Amino acid sequence: MIEYLLEPFSYNYMSKAIWVCALVGATCAFLSSYLMLKGWSLMGDALAHAIVPGVALAYILSLPYSLGAFFAGIFAAFSMMIVKQKTKLREDAVIGLIYTSFLAIGLLLVSINPTAVNLQAIILGNILSISDYDIQQVVIISGICLIILGLKWRDMVALFFDENHAQSIGLPVTALKIMFFTLLSATTVAALQTVGACLVIAMVITPGATAYLLTDRFGRLIIISILLGSITSAFGAYLSYFLNANTGGLIVSLQTLIFLISFVFAPKHGLLKRRKTVSSSYKTQNKDAI
Amino acid sequence: MSNYKKQIIKIENVGVTYPNGHVALEKINLTLNKGVICALVGVNGAGKSTLFKSIIGFLRPATGNIKIDGKSVHQALKQNIISYVPQTEDVDWDFPVLVEDVVMMGRYSHMGFTRRPSAKDKKAVGNALERVNLSEYRKRQIGELSGGQKKRVFVARALAQAGKVILLDEPFTGVDIKTEESLITLFKQLAKNGHLILVSTHNLGSVPHFCDEVALINRTILAHGVVKTTFTQENLSKAFGGMLRHQQLFGSDLHDDSDTRGITVLTDDERPLVLYGEHGGQQIINKGSDMGKVDKND
Repeated sequence: MIEYLLEPFSYNYMSKAIWVCALVGATCAFLSSYLMLKGWSLMGDALAHAIVPGVALAYILSLPYSLGAFFAGIFAAFSMMIVKQKTKLREDAVIGLIYTSFLAIGLLLVSINPTAVNLQAIILGNILSISDYDIQQVVIISGICLIILGLKWRDMVALFFDENHAQSIGLPVTALKIMFFTLLSATTVAALQTVGACLVIAMVITPGATAYLLTDRFGRLIIISILLGSITSAFGAYLSYFLNANTGGLIVSLQTLIFLISFVFAPKHGLLKRRKTVSSSYKTQNKDAI
Repeated sequence: MSNYKKQIIKIENVGVTYPNGHVALEKINLTLNKGVICALVGVNGAGKSTLFKSIIGFLRPATGNIKIDGKSVHQALKQNIISYVPQTEDVDWDFPVLVEDVVMMGRYSHMGFTRRPSAKDKKAVGNALERVNLSEYRKRQIGELSGGQKKRVFVARALAQAGKVILLDEPFTGVDIKTEESLITLFKQLAKNGHLILVSTHNLGSVPHFCDEVALINRTILAHGVVKTTFTQENLSKAFGGMLRHQQLFGSDLHDDSDTRGITVLTDDERPLVLYGEHGGQQIINKGSDMGKVDKND
């Protein structure tokens, strides 16, 4: 039995897939804690699509695809930031506007200048056949991202919570924003190539959203989110060996399952607890009336 | 003013134009001293918030310059001179932070690179919470507080920061009378300790009660000086135009004798300002809660 359970680890590609997924899951989860608070949750989705023109252009200029993808991602992120800052449009409109434009330009480029790149493969990714080069890239980017966020998470909280105050205590507001969106773009792009778009998009939303139901403190929210992100990712990759199922799909389903459990059973913000609070306050009111 | 007080904010010829071409401020000149509570009074859209945002470096003025304690805004912010208390409407109350976390953010500029709080920071947060009577709520999520408590959280954050200049944006909106009184007592103490307190408010009645100076603003500074001589009906009409509720009672309506003095009540839906004297009144009579008492010798 134990032998059977340990079987995936005897394959090199499986153990790689497991820890790479965990790393990507942790990094995306860290970012998700911030994104969901500002209505930026669909940013991951947008960035995943916005890289298309970058990849097409990189092919035409015969540059590495990841470079093209990275710069297209950054460019898209900053376009969103600037449009948001300079207009009164809401986040969803800004995200939709920018990413459809980028996607359209990318498809246009591909149609004019057919590429040998299979965009499908880039958007879906394949964790089980990940190359060592890609692993290196993921490790470096996730490492940098986790270290910087680990050191500066409190500054980022202040910035996301109250930008005016962050400014008034002398925090470098613009620099911090640029840093955050650069990290986000880099992580999205790196994760895309390895685990695929669907997974990245879910990974920068669900863990943060679940943790939000479980705690009222930002520090704990980050820890819960990272734990959820990395454990579900590792476990999903591991489970995909037995179920012979798509890794990304499994990971996202696991994360959704945990979200649903929290949605119902969370100690303070869960459905059951809320119902209880309402009915008990109703009872005391009635008692008072009698 | 007999005793010399040191200048701390000096605003010269400042103008701010928004990207859409709207001129929010022009030719603002304002010098404020330490140890003073100054009210910034004007209609909505007169530029109160814009002026605040310029002082905290959030907006860069197109013209003129602002000096704080002799330094540029940027340097002053780095040196932790300015504490800012936002309008509570601007805050995301669902944000996952506890009361004490918010107050701790006021200590950031005293902390190191990773903002890990020291024992001293924790003590400062405890003291600040105590001064605004929120100690027992320190473990609450901020959205679980009442209106007055919410306001006090941000005042506590400013206290914890201990800046020499404290900017308060509409501190009394949605606040009950008791909280208002306790905040006013606190502001007075802070001014006594040499802080400059600049309060934007449309609560006209409370201005004479706790402010030393008043600056009336409508795109530019219309008048600035001590409350007694500057906070007059004439200046207020200039600042507000027809935007205020306005009641006047004159001579024979008010007096049995031939006294020609009249009474004027001005209000912007908050505590009213009551003036008494010739031509509708130069004398402010509602000093705080003893509203309505008129000294016969006036």
